[in-house]
Amino acid sequence: MASRYDRAITVFSPDGHLFQVEYAQEAVKKGSTAVGIRGTNIVVLGVEKKSVAKLQDERTVRKICALDDHVCMAFAVLNTFIGLTADARVVINRARVECQSHKLTVEDPVTVEYITRFIATLKQKYTQSNGRRPFGISALIVGFDDDGIPRLYQTDPSGTYHAWKANAIGRSAKTVREFLEKNYTEDAMANDNEAIKLAIRALLEVVQSGGKNIELAIIRRNQPLKMFSAKEIELQVTEIEKEKEEAEKKKSKKTV
Amino acid sequence: MAATFFGEVVKAPCRAGTEDEEEEEDRRETPEDREVRRQLMRKSREVRLLRRQTKTSLEVSLLEKYSCSKFIIAIGNNAVAFLSSFVMNSGIWEEVGCAKLWNEWCRTTDAVSLSPTEAFCVFYHLKSNPSVFLCQCSCYVAEDQQYQWLEKVFGSCPKKNMQVTILTSRHITDYKTSESTCSLPSPFLRALKTQNFKDPVCCSLLEQPNIVHDLPAAVLSYCQVWRIPAILYLCYTDIMKLDPITVEAFKPVLSSRSLKGLVKNIPQSTEMLKKLMVTNEIQSNIYT
Repeated sequence: MASRYDRAITVFSPDGHLFQVEYAQEAVKKGSTAVGIRGTNIVVLGVEKKSVAKLQDERTVRKICALDDHVCMAFAVLNTFIGLTADARVVINRARVECQSHKLTVEDPVTVEYITRFIATLKQKYTQSNGRRPFGISALIVGFDDDGIPRLYQTDPSGTYHAWKANAIGRSAKTVREFLEKNYTEDAMANDNEAIKLAIRALLEVVQSGGKNIELAIIRRNQPLKMFSAKEIELQVTEIEKEKEEAEKKKSKKTV
Repeated sequence: MAATFFGEVVKAPCRAGTEDEEEEEDRRETPEDREVRRQLMRKSREVRLLRRQTKTSLEVSLLEKYSCSKFIIAIGNNAVAFLSSFVMNSGIWEEVGCAKLWNEWCRTTDAVSLSPTEAFCVFYHLKSNPSVFLCQCSCYVAEDQQYQWLEKVFGSCPKKNMQVTILTSRHITDYKTSESTCSLPSPFLRALKTQNFKDPVCCSLLEQPNIVHDLPAAVLSYCQVWRIPAILYLCYTDIMKLDPITVEAFKPVLSSRSLKGLVKNIPQSTEMLKKLMVTNEIQSNIYT
């Protein structure tokens, strides 16, 4: 009977569930979809934008944010959180402070794994303290480390984190992940453009109104982060649709 | 009684029976129950079946007035969108009536003047074959109103030569399984049928404990009691609002005997579905 064991965060159920943590994972599914892809020389983060109210300032509804960038802008750590907006804001602030604190203390910028572990540890603490509830957010964190290797990590409300080659979180994450499993190949990812296209194609599987509801950011090795403008995304979407049409024409030719 | 760590008192269940029966009854009636009783007295919880043109109440139940061989009922926004895009686009459907009701789930507080977009169940029949009926029910029918709905639609002595198909969707957390909901391939379809339903089923049957709720359960129970062949196709999804992936999960049902003859234009259906998705729906700021 879930109802007797799901009120207090610190109580296990007889069959070993921590219901509040599982319910927090349901909260993540209420957010929009985000996709992260790790290429050979590039990392890509794509998010589904929600339609904003008429009078709302769109600039304040950004989903992809930088946690840190090095002084010379050689690399950056980008992330996106999906789930409860307010929880995301709090965790992002803590992570940003930690990035600077680390830099001041050891004179080196954080590695992607370090900051992911920090965020995950923070989330785990909130699953084990009384009087608090878990953060209802999952995060995709991307960046390049000093050694030039691209990284993609995912965290969830329970405080676990894992490295991924490509992953999706939020609404319909399962559908997008299956799409990525079918279409991700190491060889294709050696091409930056292919990685960007894969991210957009994966999002188009679940985003209803096409390119105008997608936000995309990339980091290339030794280059500063780049946020795609709406025009650039539209260009990619048109290219993808062309490729789709050509593939379908070829298919119909074969059957005829 | 047991006190938890936070000082909240949790009543431990006792098989020996309660000590004081009377006190128990009073405590069980919540403010919501009292409100429902008040509404019952005011008759505002009545389910009314109205004729299409005249908007007058039907004197007899819908299926007593018209003969029916096939009855397809869609309950919930995803099932309704599925029928609108895939079934109602081919063939001409004529509205025969609607059921008007009000309960605490409706967004308005006024029980008398309801706008057409809320708390309506609309009934259609196919012009080319008037014994094929379709019901689009996008409102919630409360427990005390389900019996009234059944009486007004099926009547007290239904004919047994019809087949009923019900489509609905539920949140995946309702699906009883020992697996975590994250590992389930949602959305997916399950079926539950009455004893007299002999046709092939388009998906696997709902596993034990096979519990269903609300109006679909009421209709299925009614059909079981009256030995009407009926089947419920239930789509478990993790998105409760109108979602194209959930709607498309109903597609296997298109191959069932009851829907086969009614579906023609599938590519057009996908277009219609896209249009139905309200893209200007402003989503709340709570979730990012």
